[in-house]
Amino acid sequence: MLILMRAELYRMATIRSSWVSIALFGFVAAAFGVLDANWWALFAGVGAFGISVLTVAQHYQHRTIALLYLARPQRLPVLFAQVLTTVAVGWVLAALSGITALLRWGGGTYRHTLIVVPVMAVFGAAAAAIVRRASWLLIGFAVWIVVVEGLIGKLDGELPISAYLDAARGDMFGLEVFIFWAVATLAAAVPFLNRDLSSD
Amino acid sequence: MIETIELTKAYGKVRAVDELSFTALPGRVTGFLGLNGSGKTTTLRMLLGLTRPTGGAALIDGRPFTGLKRPLRAVGAVLEQGISHPGQSGRAHLVTQAMSAGASRARVDLLLDQVGLTDAADQRTGDYSLGMRQRLAVATALLGEPPVLILDEPANGLDPSGVAWLRELLRSYAHAGGTVLISSHLLAELAQLIDDVVIIANGRLRHEGPLAGLYGMTTGRVLMRGRDPGRLRDALRRAGAEVAGDETLEIDGLSAAEAGEVAFAAGVPVHELLTDTPNLEQIFLELAGT
Repeated sequence: MLILMRAELYRMATIRSSWVSIALFGFVAAAFGVLDANWWALFAGVGAFGISVLTVAQHYQHRTIALLYLARPQRLPVLFAQVLTTVAVGWVLAALSGITALLRWGGGTYRHTLIVVPVMAVFGAAAAAIVRRASWLLIGFAVWIVVVEGLIGKLDGELPISAYLDAARGDMFGLEVFIFWAVATLAAAVPFLNRDLSSD
Repeated sequence: MIETIELTKAYGKVRAVDELSFTALPGRVTGFLGLNGSGKTTTLRMLLGLTRPTGGAALIDGRPFTGLKRPLRAVGAVLEQGISHPGQSGRAHLVTQAMSAGASRARVDLLLDQVGLTDAADQRTGDYSLGMRQRLAVATALLGEPPVLILDEPANGLDPSGVAWLRELLRSYAHAGGTVLISSHLLAELAQLIDDVVIIANGRLRHEGPLAGLYGMTTGRVLMRGRDPGRLRDALRRAGAEVAGDETLEIDGLSAAEAGEVAFAAGVPVHELLTDTPNLEQIFLELAGT
């Protein structure tokens, strides 16, 4: 597992577009942290989701997943290694980008967000293992947040992103609901792992 | 050794691979041939555990790929004209793959040199030509020094010197006892390389055996040109031959010597007489096209 995590981190570090995007997103999240801690929490969650989706789905997009499975034919440990890698990267991004929010607004939201951000990374990586296409997932995620949870649900319900935001504000029930969503998505991803890899 | 036993892959009612059984032996290069869409890539992907068979078994040294303990040390594979992240350099790609497999990174520079990519090692693979991507794919396959190589159309995109390089590499690999299974839709491309041949059509086995055996599968026909084609045709038909063509007669059922004797007896001067032996590509197309 650690070997795979190291390989995945090395891969991210040696793809310039990956770390440049992560760094840019971190700066934007930090800037929003000056304005409002909740905005930073949302950006930290979106960042963790984006990192996890891109990390997992890019393997399918560029078909490097085939090389990964040739090296490690057991697919479940590969998924878990990817999940743990994205949890680590998403958490570090949140911790660093949240320094502005921490200094400006105190430690409450910062601390709660750092607890729930890893759950968001699990949620994103699991969803990417099911959908396998980053663009579909990221567009779907944006539409879901704006239309379903924002306009219809008013960010006040037991849906994933609303629960994430509640958890980031320190609501334990929100955290439990979001963990449920993440675990359910991960459980759904496991049987999907054995699907054939398309050649093109 | 590579072995498939009644290997089958069905997509709904369509059987992409249909009860396919063949063997590729150590110390030999086996050509896996079929026209596009015949089921070659699906078969190779089942051998490599990337596609699940509907029935039968795909085995490497007696085990399914997913049952191998250290797969990269057991099997090297070249798939889809070189897979890599376009934003990663060739060297970083190989290091990542070595790390993923728990293999030594020490071989990376050695392999880059072996495949002729040392100068381009730090270039993004997205900027590589197709031939360079194929060379990188071969280097990736050789990372774990595996005794079995499975290559899906590896010569695509290689220039003639690249094809010669690949041929030499694979021949020396087999000479050292390795098992090589290489797919192509062009027999001519592999004719100078392979020892054995497996030909499939519509997912089914059409022929399996040594390459030399293919030559004995058909007899040639005789082509003859003479001063009076009409009289020649009549004489040949009377001798029991089937004759087609107008100026140049295409004769089945007689050897060149027999046809010459018939022409001599009929008193027709012969201007040209030759046996048209089908080349390997024709034999392959006959087998693979049916």
